[in-house]
Amino acid sequence: MTQTDSMLVALSRQMADAVERIAMSLVMVSGRPRQPATGIAYDDELVLTADHVLEREDRLTVQTYDNRVLGAQIVGRDSSTDLAVLRVKGLNVPIAAAAAEARVGQLGLAVGRPSPEGVMASLGVVSKIGGPLRMGRGSVALERYIQTDATPYPGFSGGALVDVTGAAFGLLTTGFGRGAAIVIPMDLALKVAGMLTKQGYVKRGYLGIVSQQVRLPPAQRSDAQEYGLLVVRVEENSPAEKGGLLVGDILLTVEGQPINDADDLVAALHGDRIGKPVAVRVSRGGIPQTLTVVVGQKG
Amino acid sequence: MIAAAKASVVQIYTAGRGIGAGVIWHSDAVHSEVITNAHVVAGLERRPSDWLRVVTADGRSFKAQVLASDPRLDLARLSVPVGRLPAAKVGDSTRLRVGELVFAIGNPWGQAGVVTSGIISGLGSMTLRGAGRTAPYIRSDVSLAPGNSGGPLLNASGEVVGINAMIFGGDLGMAIPSHVVAEWTAQETWA
Repeated sequence: MTQTDSMLVALSRQMADAVERIAMSLVMVSGRPRQPATGIAYDDELVLTADHVLEREDRLTVQTYDNRVLGAQIVGRDSSTDLAVLRVKGLNVPIAAAAAEARVGQLGLAVGRPSPEGVMASLGVVSKIGGPLRMGRGSVALERYIQTDATPYPGFSGGALVDVTGAAFGLLTTGFGRGAAIVIPMDLALKVAGMLTKQGYVKRGYLGIVSQQVRLPPAQRSDAQEYGLLVVRVEENSPAEKGGLLVGDILLTVEGQPINDADDLVAALHGDRIGKPVAVRVSRGGIPQTLTVVVGQKG
Repeated sequence: MIAAAKASVVQIYTAGRGIGAGVIWHSDAVHSEVITNAHVVAGLERRPSDWLRVVTADGRSFKAQVLASDPRLDLARLSVPVGRLPAAKVGDSTRLRVGELVFAIGNPWGQAGVVTSGIISGLGSMTLRGAGRTAPYIRSDVSLAPGNSGGPLLNASGEVVGINAMIFGGDLGMAIPSHVVAEWTAQETWA
């Protein structure tokens, strides 16, 4: 046997081990007619799944790797990130490990438990790390996402994309449409899960502007900031309008945090700031000024 | 590894047209046996013996005859009247695991000996029509085309662990595990 051949055998064994490892943390989720989906055990008695696979709110069950069928309750759900958290009494399965940050080109195994026959898997790579993912009228669903070319078989939504050690890059879903497998990075999914278990829904702050990224004039650039957001529309009666933002303003900072792109703005408008005044620094006609805006709530 | 496995893969022809692939399963001094899918050779059992031909990886063409076929398992056994064709190394498909690396060799769209790769996606069992029993099957994400029918699914060591059968839209293929093939051929021989 050549060296390449034994490497193949080793890789093959490692991938089967990876599937076996994550398989124990994956449950089959029965929450819609005909096609069950998958869920990931991420904490004691808690399962993360895709929101869109829960077509009913009662009579939910999960089936574990050791074939126990258990009742499940929805703790919280969020359609915009397509995430939901279930509580399963007596779940008692190993918790999924989270992988280090994904890199484009890394091998990825999509693993789901779409039927009582056992787990299924498909092989691919981390194709792209992108974001933000926008839904509908420009509202941001995910700050970051991972795309993979691993085949999402029916029932894989709520399953995991794992690395070759079986640690999860994130939760896989086809709920964002176009049949594409989108992976919600584990840290992001866990953050949403935290909000869902705390309050049952995800709070998002909002200003009510449409903006586009522009390069700042040299005088306004700094090490931390090369770009700003040009306001191209201000919604009527929105927090932005009430706070005095105008079309043509270039958004520079929120509470002192540089806003280089839409991601930065989403991050700055986190749920804790809803209803509170924040300092918004803009460049108006080349002159910086600071406005006070009370952050609104959306979604 | 692939080069060695390729030697045991044949193309199956009828009336000068490639219709699928096959695996040299067994050979002795005077004759050889090829396994393929029943659907590849359906209706050819009673044709004149020169109707069906197999072409080996080194380009030699031999006439072949359907010895037995089971449409429920989608398996067929062909007899080739020439000895010492290189028989495939057969692996133990009862020990397959989801996630294992696999390769397929076949003749998609008429190109001979095309290799594609993927993993074992699932292991399941299907009910055999009218037989009152089930048979295990392998699902894989190896990219397959109709010309892969009857060709081998290989593990990372280059051993045949399955015979590729049904193909669903390119990203989900079904294969018959090699131990099912072995049981079936044993039955056929000794029954």
